[in-house]
Amino acid sequence: MANDSLNGKACVVLREVTKDYIGIRALDRVSFEIKEGEIFGYIGPNGAGKTTTLKILVGLINDFWGEVYIGQYQLPKQKLEAHKLLGYLPQSVAFQEWRTVNHALKTFGKLSGLTEEEVEDRIPKTLELLGLADVRHKKISQLSGGMTQKVGLAQALLHNPKLLVMDEPLGGLDPLSRHQFKEIVLKLAKGGTTILFSSHILSDVQDVADRIGILNRGRIKMVGSMNELKNQLYSQKIVEVFFSHESDKWQMLGTVKNVNKVEQPSPGRVLVYLQTGADEDHVLNDTVKKIVELGIRISSIGMLSPSLDEIYLNYVQKEEKA
Amino acid sequence: MKLQLLYVDELRGFYKSKVMLFLWIGLPIVALLFRFIQSSTTGQAIPFTVISALIVSSLAGTLAAVMLAVSIINEKNRHVYELFLIRPLKRRDIILSKFLSVYTCVAVASFIAIFVGVAADYFTSGVISATVFQDTAQSLAISLSMVAVSCSAGVLIGVAAPSVLVGAILVIYGGNQVSVIPLVPTLLNLPQADLFTVGLAAAVSIALLTVAVTLFERKQF
Repeated sequence: MANDSLNGKACVVLREVTKDYIGIRALDRVSFEIKEGEIFGYIGPNGAGKTTTLKILVGLINDFWGEVYIGQYQLPKQKLEAHKLLGYLPQSVAFQEWRTVNHALKTFGKLSGLTEEEVEDRIPKTLELLGLADVRHKKISQLSGGMTQKVGLAQALLHNPKLLVMDEPLGGLDPLSRHQFKEIVLKLAKGGTTILFSSHILSDVQDVADRIGILNRGRIKMVGSMNELKNQLYSQKIVEVFFSHESDKWQMLGTVKNVNKVEQPSPGRVLVYLQTGADEDHVLNDTVKKIVELGIRISSIGMLSPSLDEIYLNYVQKEEKA
Repeated sequence: MKLQLLYVDELRGFYKSKVMLFLWIGLPIVALLFRFIQSSTTGQAIPFTVISALIVSSLAGTLAAVMLAVSIINEKNRHVYELFLIRPLKRRDIILSKFLSVYTCVAVASFIAIFVGVAADYFTSGVISATVFQDTAQSLAISLSMVAVSCSAGVLIGVAAPSVLVGAILVIYGGNQVSVIPLVPTLLNLPQADLFTVGLAAAVSIALLTVAVTLFERKQF
């Protein structure tokens, strides 16, 4: 079947992708799409099947059921065409020991279809972007793990791929490098590059991903934006209030309409739990009115926004109970 | 085009390696030493070209096969190939470039060893016999035929073996035996045995490489 759903908009399509290893179902009917220019974060516990999905997508695993498209090209049949659109950073990037950074990038650039002139033009720019200009002529085997990871990213970016796939790209990077990485990813996406990356560092996924896919035990459990995930997985809405001074009147906030319960987890910080289906704007207004009425001074008030970590933990705990 | 790029690339990697240094410099020295030891113990010196051919085919063939097998297993297990396989190139080019680059390096080593042999014979006897060039060409043809089979066996073992240890054992015990196959026409005293030797070596090498490429194409990384 042709990739009808693309219409020039989706860059990656997986339909009912299933993969078995000996006696183990690694992926079970995994389906999702990624639009052009979108940043897609792929998360899940260890052994969930994230790396297997990415390896199928980049053509390293060809033996699977289901349909996989990169652009208009179906894998594994049209692998050579699909590979022209692709940049890939594996989880543990490795180079031949005798290669220098410059030599490795030259080879991979040319293999990706760049001319000698283009390679010579892009290598210094890419190295500069990643803060690797000083190590251009060093042997990769002499570099630290973090630097080697950056060289891995350099080879993935060098030929300006339309689709950039990265498996745990932030592992081994220091905080500054992680910050730089996120800036680069956002810049690439603005330029139209589609990005799919898996990560265990959920705060980083939250920072950059337009949409997130949660995989568990080989099955896609949820795909959506942060807000969609919050709505689906974290249905409990909470107003968080910080008092300027500690007050024992906080329990009175429980009388506000559509409030389920009130808690004070720490002195001066009160959580107001909304009833299911309650309108958060109304409850927020009513809570402010009540606080004024009670004569309590507040330093801040707002809807409590769960982080991706909290959403993910909440989801995993629910799964384990189930 | 991609094969040519990978071939030149692999050549750069291999020609700098210590094994190649041994083949290019050490091999002629070992052959020279062997010749002088042999002439001083028996009083009769076997022509150096013959000794060079023997050493090249046995020592260099084994070393090349071990080097290929170990290199492929190592790179396979370290996931080095992932960065190649996600690019628009044919998997077989990776394997063929390795074979061709090592074979080229060993061929150069063979030329050096045999050239040193001819020179040593000239300096010790003061003359070059009329048949020396024919003998040299014959030795070279046999040596390179056996090395081609050794290298192909090394590639196949490299693709199939799960660990460096298993690969090295298989090359030493299996690869060496396979490399003797091209000598069969000579041992059977067939007419135009040299031609048969080269043809047989080409056929065996192609067969081994075809199996290696097929396995590599099907491999899940």
